[in-house]
Amino acid sequence: MESAVIIDHDVVVIGAGLAGMRAALEAARNGAQVAVVSKVHPVRSHSGAAQGGINAAIAAGDSWETHAFDTIKGSDYLADQDAVEIMCREAPGDIIELEHMGVIFYRNEDGKLGTRAFGGASKARTYFVGDITGQALLYALYDQLLKAGCKVYEEWFVTSLWMVDGACRGAVALDMIKGDLALLRAKAVIVASGGMGRVYEPSTNALICTGDGIALAYRAGAPVMDMEMVQYHPTTLKGSGFLMTEAARGEGAYLLNNKGERFMLTYAPTMKELASRDVVSRAETQEIAAGRGVDLCVLLDLRHLGADVVLKKLPQIHEMALDFLNIDMLKDPVPVRPGMHYIMGGVKTDAGARTPVPGLYAAGECACVSVHGGNRLGANSLLDTLVFGRHGGRNAAADVKKVTAMPSDSAGEQLLAAEQRRVQSLCDRPVTGESHAKLRLQLGTLMDEKVGVYRDEAGLRDALAQINDLQKRFETVAVRDRSRVFNQALTFALELGFMLDCAEATVISAIDRTESRGAHYRTDYPQRNDAQWLKHIEVTRRDGAASAISYLPVTITKWQPQERKY
Amino acid sequence: MQWTVVVGRYSPPGDPQPKGEMGPAFREPYQNAPRKTYQTFKVDLPDHAMVLDALIHIREYEDESLAVRCACRSAICGSCAMWVNGHARLVCTSKLREHTKDGKVVVEAPPSMPIVKDLVCDMTPFWRKNMSVKPWLQNKQPVPQGEEYRVPNAAMENLIQEVSCISCGACLMDCESFAVNQNFLGPAALAKAYRYTADPRDADTDVRLREYSESNGVWDCTHCYECVQVCPKGVAPLDQILKLRKLAVDAGFTDNAGTRHADAFAESVRDSGRLNELTLSPKSLGLFNIPAQLQTLPAAFNLLRAGKLPPLIHPKIPNVERIKNIFKKIGERFK
Amino acid sequence: MRVAFWPGCVSKGACPELYVSTQKVAEALGLELLELYEAPCCGAGVLSEQNTALMDSLNGLTLAMAERVGADLMTICSTCQGVLSNHNYHLKNDPLRLSAANKVLADSGYEYKGTTTVKHLLWILVEDIGLDKIRPLIKHKLTGLKIAPFYGCYILRPEEYLGLKERPERSTYLEQLIELVGGEAVEYHGKTKCCGFPMVTMNRDKALAMGGNHILEAKEKGADLLVTPCPLCHLNLDAQQPDAGRVLKRTIDTPIFHLPQLLGLAFGYSAEELRLNHHVVSTTRALEKVELKV
Repeated sequence: MESAVIIDHDVVVIGAGLAGMRAALEAARNGAQVAVVSKVHPVRSHSGAAQGGINAAIAAGDSWETHAFDTIKGSDYLADQDAVEIMCREAPGDIIELEHMGVIFYRNEDGKLGTRAFGGASKARTYFVGDITGQALLYALYDQLLKAGCKVYEEWFVTSLWMVDGACRGAVALDMIKGDLALLRAKAVIVASGGMGRVYEPSTNALICTGDGIALAYRAGAPVMDMEMVQYHPTTLKGSGFLMTEAARGEGAYLLNNKGERFMLTYAPTMKELASRDVVSRAETQEIAAGRGVDLCVLLDLRHLGADVVLKKLPQIHEMALDFLNIDMLKDPVPVRPGMHYIMGGVKTDAGARTPVPGLYAAGECACVSVHGGNRLGANSLLDTLVFGRHGGRNAAADVKKVTAMPSDSAGEQLLAAEQRRVQSLCDRPVTGESHAKLRLQLGTLMDEKVGVYRDEAGLRDALAQINDLQKRFETVAVRDRSRVFNQALTFALELGFMLDCAEATVISAIDRTESRGAHYRTDYPQRNDAQWLKHIEVTRRDGAASAISYLPVTITKWQPQERKY
Repeated sequence: MQWTVVVGRYSPPGDPQPKGEMGPAFREPYQNAPRKTYQTFKVDLPDHAMVLDALIHIREYEDESLAVRCACRSAICGSCAMWVNGHARLVCTSKLREHTKDGKVVVEAPPSMPIVKDLVCDMTPFWRKNMSVKPWLQNKQPVPQGEEYRVPNAAMENLIQEVSCISCGACLMDCESFAVNQNFLGPAALAKAYRYTADPRDADTDVRLREYSESNGVWDCTHCYECVQVCPKGVAPLDQILKLRKLAVDAGFTDNAGTRHADAFAESVRDSGRLNELTLSPKSLGLFNIPAQLQTLPAAFNLLRAGKLPPLIHPKIPNVERIKNIFKKIGERFK
Repeated sequence: MRVAFWPGCVSKGACPELYVSTQKVAEALGLELLELYEAPCCGAGVLSEQNTALMDSLNGLTLAMAERVGADLMTICSTCQGVLSNHNYHLKNDPLRLSAANKVLADSGYEYKGTTTVKHLLWILVEDIGLDKIRPLIKHKLTGLKIAPFYGCYILRPEEYLGLKERPERSTYLEQLIELVGGEAVEYHGKTKCCGFPMVTMNRDKALAMGGNHILEAKEKGADLLVTPCPLCHLNLDAQQPDAGRVLKRTIDTPIFHLPQLLGLAFGYSAEELRLNHHVVSTTRALEKVELKV
């Protein structure tokens, strides 16, 4: 690298999924000079894999309060109710805005937006496009981003955030096509890099979901919160872990055990198959453990829905079952099992997407406001990305107007040189070193076994010990590719580092929370304990010392915690 | 099960070069594609495994320098389109079992696109073409305040075929017209053009149709169904292009060879029941388009010399009235 | 075996050699051709995109005529095969389109009941007659001749209209016949790609480049000739070959045979009988290779 490349922007958004693109659009609309950085082309972002729909209380007879209550109950009362109120109040406006952007939502006979039922929702309020809602939204946002002429650095991999005097002033990124590092100097950085599904194996998540942004913010000193709240999706395809949308159950699909019984009638008599995801995942795990599973799975049955419904409203999952398991859903039930799907936790922000670190914002799955608390309702994630992406964009654009001093070019050059040395030393490790793939698989397997649907102290402590061991071994992971151009061995190694940080924060939090709430179920502490645990667990990294644990009370506005039954 | 996967490797100059025998040069229309080094790998994977599983296995355990774009593994993100045995496909949904021919599967970056490294091609031509059709809603005014446009569900369902597009690029990679004409907009961009043209909420229908009727637009498609064949999501880009053609003609954008061709064809069938090849070409080109007419003279002369020139007096089929009446009834533009 | 024979427009116009050689081959095979003299042009896809209902009716008429004859409808043109299969598929599966077409046909005294099967001669040879029945008819093996199959698009795509999902082997019939007559099938990338004909009036140079490229590729792989089941491909590959050569600045000079001409030669018909002396690109060299004269 000859001369340091420093590029200036007002706002840099890391991640080009729904949250990232919505933030960028809003920042641009509010007069900021914005750039989006993404390690993949925007339309490859994992937002595109969301299938079922997006929630909003628009229909007559529905209300944002009901939506909020469903969300809060779904969260097992860990969600911050002021933030939930904002999300649910603003949801209708965001849906309409999406429609005006051109999303081809499903319509009723009167030409108005139509809904489908979804998990944990007392009223049907999920707006959708077939079973490709995430994809439809992603493209609508991308098309708008193109229209706005926003700058996108695609296939640029962010290696670290730039912290100057406790504030975030940009990010260093590797241009994967050229192989050079560049410094994106900015007055505000919005992290919108999605979740960390690959920390678990199997997972519904794409291979790119490695918790990059969560770890970047964590390393920059921002606290991460509720990291123990890991959502397992009840219907992931046997073997591959691919997502079989909740919309299938929304359209009326059944879950059966090996006796052909709809076991959810026992576990959740009212909501049945549409109880919240943690409830259904636990029910399935119990059925399988009790010997009532089929090949360590349960069966998702769509036969009674008929070709018209399946082929029109759920074509993608029908195709996937055929492709990956050679099963035609119209003729046979599909084996599914709980698989890691979503992280409710993430980088702590307020309801304006601001982290406690000046200049640093976060939105989407990588953030924790918290609106999902201990368990996220289906179709609330797409909503989360848009509402808080928008807030982040608007606030970042406003805040940058107040930033007067920026670090100098020479400071930037020093940073780049240091980062270059760090990356080079990673590449220069002996080729006989550890394999990133082997460590990744070990990490994923141990997380699924010990930090999955059911947890206990011994298992969690063992997990932490193994993670620490993996972190030591990570220090010798070799990068067995000496290319400049498109060096994936390098980026995979960097990703593994991010994943280990996320895993560590998750396990630390899981050990600490000695109760069961939402997706976090401790067999040694099977009850919910509001007296002691109606609070969030924050983990903050400290240089040269163990991470610090702190607590934040849950903000309660209208809804006092109750027993959660479905 | 043991599978044999032959991978086309390429490294840009300056980077470590792949070891092995360099393959043959690509011939027209792919003459600009650099030669690749083909390496053979043997992998042990279950019977139902996909080609992508093999590539990931190679990348993780055999050769970490293999560059492959992939993310979702399930035909949603569109990252992993490439040539499998010479045809563009998503490798995440290509079964090793189905694509093993003569004992092996051959994967490589498509020679129709510029290449970055190994199996990673440069998708810039694809993104540029998409961008050039202005793929965003130009809102019809007035935009309803605080509520949605009222449109029938059928109008939305009409667009869902194109909205299923995951921009994998397979259609462009294997588009024959693009192969000989780099400026052709291509199947994906034109399908997206249809998506916005046919959206009842878009205000720019006529502007769009005029643009797409011009050169390198809808009439430069060779109607070969290759894009329909290779598309993993059933977008059927050709079908969208054909719908776009009809919209353009109906909207009056008819001053082009494509429309004249259809009109001349129809006229011939209406009047005689059969195609009159003799007059088809001159009429399509525009009878006053002297340069174009002159261009076709050598071919006409060759036909004459070979005794293949169609009869000057074009015969009508018996009972041609039957055909004329059908045209009269539902011929619309071709009445 | 008898078939309702739809020769298409081109075999009665610019490619009479196709019509003549088809008759000869049918005679040798004992295939009775009941020609549909009053059937209309299929529209070649050009008209279907502008007026689907019109082409449902016109093609419905052809299909109904075959139905009346009481036999499969045989085509000798990939384009006719593709278009008729497309419309037939929709008429058979979409009751609204069928009833709309029949309403129009009522005036003509025809009603299509949806029972016709459309089959190209290529398929009939392999599926209905069978290679074993054809083999004994071969009097003159074309040993040593390297023949590149050129399918063209409409006999292969889209798969669902052409029965290729059920019978994927249909994409190998040309090679099978080439081998049956003693030739060596040349494998090359362009064999399933487009010849450019549909675009030749819209963008002449590019259309000719397409076809020219494919012939050159086959030639470089050693082909003495190409064989095609589509007369529209034949026009672009043979009649336009000199111009294609000019566009590509290459000498192509590779003859293009129609499928029945290849068979006809093997059956012992003379090159003149098959009108192989009436091509734009001379077939002499290829014929000499197998000791035939034209």
